[in-house]
Amino acid sequence: MKKTILSSLLLFLFIAGLSIKSNAQAHAKKKADEQTEAWRYEIEVAGTGVQGSYLVKVWSYSKRPAVAIEQAKKNAVHGVIFKGFPGKTGVAGKPPLTTNVNVEEEKKEFFTDFFADGGKYMKFVSLTTDGSIAAEDRMKVGKEYKIGVLVSVNVALLRKDLEEAGILKSLNAGF
Amino acid sequence: MLVSLMIMSYATPGFSQAKKPTIMVVPSDVWCNQNGYMKAFNNQGTIEKVPDYKRAFQENSDLLAMISKINGLMADRGFPLKNMESVVKTLESESAENAMLSSKNGGGITESPIDKLKKTAKADIIMQLTFEVLKVGPKKSVRFTLQGIDAYTDKEIATAQGTGNQSFSADVAVLLEEAIIDKIDNFNIGLQRHFDDLFANGREIIVRVKKFDTWAGDLEKEYNGEELGTLIENWMKANTVKGRFSTSESTENMLLFEQVRIPLYDSSGNAIDARGFARNLQKFLSAAPFSIVNKLMTKGLGQAVIVLGDK
Repeated sequence: MKKTILSSLLLFLFIAGLSIKSNAQAHAKKKADEQTEAWRYEIEVAGTGVQGSYLVKVWSYSKRPAVAIEQAKKNAVHGVIFKGFPGKTGVAGKPPLTTNVNVEEEKKEFFTDFFADGGKYMKFVSLTTDGSIAAEDRMKVGKEYKIGVLVSVNVALLRKDLEEAGILKSLNAGF
Repeated sequence: MLVSLMIMSYATPGFSQAKKPTIMVVPSDVWCNQNGYMKAFNNQGTIEKVPDYKRAFQENSDLLAMISKINGLMADRGFPLKNMESVVKTLESESAENAMLSSKNGGGITESPIDKLKKTAKADIIMQLTFEVLKVGPKKSVRFTLQGIDAYTDKEIATAQGTGNQSFSADVAVLLEEAIIDKIDNFNIGLQRHFDDLFANGREIIVRVKKFDTWAGDLEKEYNGEELGTLIENWMKANTVKGRFSTSESTENMLLFEQVRIPLYDSSGNAIDARGFARNLQKFLSAAPFSIVNKLMTKGLGQAVIVLGDK
């Protein structure tokens, strides 16, 4: 009898532990999404990408390194569309794809689906260094981690997709 | 309902397409000079140097690769460019054909001196390309400049420039390609800004009014108490977008209007350019009370000249 109670208790604790971990993970993920919307990430040029792509380094914040690393992909696409990034010696910076500063609000429904977990944004993330973060790209800032991930964004495909969705105007629009 | 929708589709400019400007990549004079692709000619005692584009295209594979890359990237953005090398060849073959062509009765092709002068490779927007390979010891880098120039207003509407990273090992061709890939998007943003401005404020053109010396009148001749020059200015005010234009020069013999903003569509919704706009001014001058015989000449989408007094 005692053995059965003990096994049940252990099973309960295990499930409860898993549930707490999963809740914490979900909470961290939600917070990371809020930070993306609040522009709380940094994006910098990392080099000249292959034709039709931008190579950027994105710094994301989270208490959980795994969440910050995953969020970097979302932030990279978000940054390329809305934020742009400055250049450095030998590599030109790029302004954001959209020149309409209110587009995020005007097309809120589109971007909510686009940046949802498993959303279309992942289609434009070609390569990342999420599997091997360099030691200098992992920093502890207060209670959070600030993690830098190199991401290659397929900007040609992204631009075409946004043009077809009516978010961006193509170069030959109106002619 | 259906009928009104059909009428709207014809009358609303939104359903029409504006005339698309042509764009062409041209090696800059600086590049041609630095690389020895210039030819000298004697202009009334003064030796002048002009770029020898034909020789540049025949001899410099880097130039060909650069232009081809830019053309490809622009085509990807839905904006295919005119290829200068082909334009030069077409002009040459057309000249040869014109020289050989004769009718059954022995008539040749008519070509005035002004027709000959106008037969040059041209586009509405010129992408002027300059690139240079810089060497510091074994290290190489590429300095690259791309200027988008409106051929009629001479304004620089887009630009992209910079020096790439130094490299020990990369091939020059790779560095050149990297320079284009790195800079072309910034160039296109300037181009997009120019097109946005064009759709919002109208196409910017130049209009010149001149007179033949055989004509007895001039631009100071009065009609109903107003000088002809002033009446032309009033017409411009009434027919430009928001009355925007500048009278840069005004004498009894000529008028020069710059920064003339013309609508992209006429009142019936058809796309117009400098020729379409100036044709209306031509009609205005041909009608009473002026009844002035005049000649209209245009250059591409953005420059028109009306010469008063003859055809």
